[in-house]
Amino acid sequence: MTTKPLERICYVEDDEDIQRIVRMSLERVGKMKVEIVGDPMVAIDAIVSFKPDLVMLDWMMPGMDGPTLFRKLKETPETKDLPVVFMTAKASATEMEELRSLGALGAISKPFSPKDLPEQLRALWNTLP
Amino acid sequence: MNTEAAPITVDAPNFTAAADHEPSPDPGLRIFADRVAHLYRQSNAGILLTLLVGAIITVELWTPRYRDLTIMWWLITIAITAARYALYRSYLQRTDHDEEKWLRWMAIGALAAGVNWGIAGAVFFPSHADDQQVFLAFILAGLISGGIAVFASVWWTYALYAAGIMLPFTYVLATFGNRLFAELAMLVPVFYAANIAVAYRLDRVFAAGFKAREDYRGVAHEQELMNVQIEEQLQELLNARREVEASGRKLTLFAERAPIAVLEFDANATVLEMNPAAENLFGYALGELVGRNGLQMLFPADDFGVNESWWHDFVSGVKPATLSRLRCVRRDGLEIMCEFTFTPLVNDEGDVISIIAQGRDITQQLEAERLKKEFTSTLSHELRTPLTSIIGSLQLINSGVLGDVEKDVIELTTIAERNGQRLLDLINDLLDIEKIESGKFTLAPEIVSLDSVLRDTLVLNKGFADRYNVRLALEERLTPARVEADPKRLVQIVTNLVSNAAKFSPEGGTVDVTLQVNGERARVGIHDRGSGIPDTFRARIFSRFAQADSTATRQKGGTGLGLAICKRLIELMHGTIGFEDRPGGGTTFYFELPVMGDKANNALAQLGAVQ
Repeated sequence: MTTKPLERICYVEDDEDIQRIVRMSLERVGKMKVEIVGDPMVAIDAIVSFKPDLVMLDWMMPGMDGPTLFRKLKETPETKDLPVVFMTAKASATEMEELRSLGALGAISKPFSPKDLPEQLRALWNTLP
Repeated sequence: MNTEAAPITVDAPNFTAAADHEPSPDPGLRIFADRVAHLYRQSNAGILLTLLVGAIITVELWTPRYRDLTIMWWLITIAITAARYALYRSYLQRTDHDEEKWLRWMAIGALAAGVNWGIAGAVFFPSHADDQQVFLAFILAGLISGGIAVFASVWWTYALYAAGIMLPFTYVLATFGNRLFAELAMLVPVFYAANIAVAYRLDRVFAAGFKAREDYRGVAHEQELMNVQIEEQLQELLNARREVEASGRKLTLFAERAPIAVLEFDANATVLEMNPAAENLFGYALGELVGRNGLQMLFPADDFGVNESWWHDFVSGVKPATLSRLRCVRRDGLEIMCEFTFTPLVNDEGDVISIIAQGRDITQQLEAERLKKEFTSTLSHELRTPLTSIIGSLQLINSGVLGDVEKDVIELTTIAERNGQRLLDLINDLLDIEKIESGKFTLAPEIVSLDSVLRDTLVLNKGFADRYNVRLALEERLTPARVEADPKRLVQIVTNLVSNAAKFSPEGGTVDVTLQVNGERARVGIHDRGSGIPDTFRARIFSRFAQADSTATRQKGGTGLGLAICKRLIELMHGTIGFEDRPGGGTTFYFELPVMGDKANNALAQLGAVQ
């Protein structure tokens, strides 16, 4: 269990409304620092420069979907060790199992509760070795 | 008991082996009875002849000197004849089957008749003149040889009869004192022996004749039986033919009126027959397709589906085949997707004589399925995404993290959040039920401690129950129970039942939750003090969109899918779900799941120890 508190989150999400809600939730409720990336194509650069503790990925996005971006993160040396949590409305159990085997930390299903989201993330964070 | 038919060829019914009774089952006895019957039949003629000859002798040999003797002999003759006739009558009216007895009596009669003639010879021969002696000798000789015809069917009766005549007469001849007569007396036994031999041969001939008749009877009887059998078989064949014709007509009717396309092919895929539905399906008239190769006409020439190699494998495999997605080509060139079953019909030698294909167009069905899938996917993503924003925003406002908000506003945003959540529940329920019913639902079963699931779920639902001012009370000492179940779905089921109970409980009431283990099943009970389940609702409570009345939907919320989902989930986990009236008012909903055996319990305990 890691002793470092979860402070910096980068969230890749194309829906602007959800971006705002997640930001408010994590900043106001969770007191975390949040970087939102709207375009998955530039996500890797943004993540590298922001240096988050944890990355949250939307599942379905135009241009590049979450699982593809996740694989790219795993291929990039600077980001390959970052814990990744999926925000998803439709991941099947088998898909999720596959991503877990590739190193995804977990998934939070949409719709999520903004009140509980920081707690959920911290719970996942605490499962890290 | 009577295995034989009535005797077939008999001269007179009274002389059958059994006049009033069933014939003996033993053919040997029947032949014997026939021979005795023949004796009696002939004895009648013998009686008449005796009277006639007796009368002639009396007249011819009448002299006043031997008047008394002649009258006495004549009386004896009449007595013997009367006795024999009486015997004959009683034989005709006999009620027994003791043929031996009747033969004995006949033999006694024969001996008596013979002795009577012998005495006539012995008495009248010496006392009369030469010409009368010759007359008497001839008569006696005639009686001896005539007796053969009467008694020969049982040779020894003749032997007794002839001996009766011969012995006294021979004695008279031998002691007469005449050399010629003495020589005659010596010859008489030779004649006697010769006659016996003839009688014996006749006896055998009779026996053989009767046996032949008996055999013929048997054959005739068998033939009669056979005729009856043949008649029956013919009738059966006729009936079978009628049935076959009737079922043939029925089948034709079925095929003609059936909405399913039915085609018959031979082993080379040549179309032999098709019904109107098949004409509609493919757009060909019967005459355009019959005699043509079905593979070339009806199916696209590609590597999939029904082609030459598939057909060859199918015909040599001799097993029915179902193709649930088979592309077919219509007469107008349009491709349609069909479902077809091919069934080979095989003769006794195992050769395929024809192939019946039954199918239907599923193009529209597939399209409907595709639309449904698309719709489900849309529901899943496109509806949930905006709901995420709606519920998320409202929750942030209602949680107070954004600072104080006016009381009226909070009231309205709370209503909005609750209804957003309700919409989300509905979508989730719809997705669940769709997945379960389309068979795409997969459980993630693991060994679960049912008691801890109950504890956790009740904590989760406390907030919901508080809204209705209802207390959730878990049994104090929960029996531990391990079941194999999907924990997430188990929580869903318990949540559903508990929230239903809370919704329908009176304000300030309590929902009791219990857990019992009865043998191999664990039973979870959720007991409320609500108004109970209306009678009209009981039968359909577990069906989809079932709610007692629509006002309840508006007052209490809910989709009417919850119990339907619970039932299907529980059944997927090999359990049962139900409800019953709670004593003292209210309702108990319960579900039962199979309890894991000790082995699994131990494994779980070990796992717990390791962790």
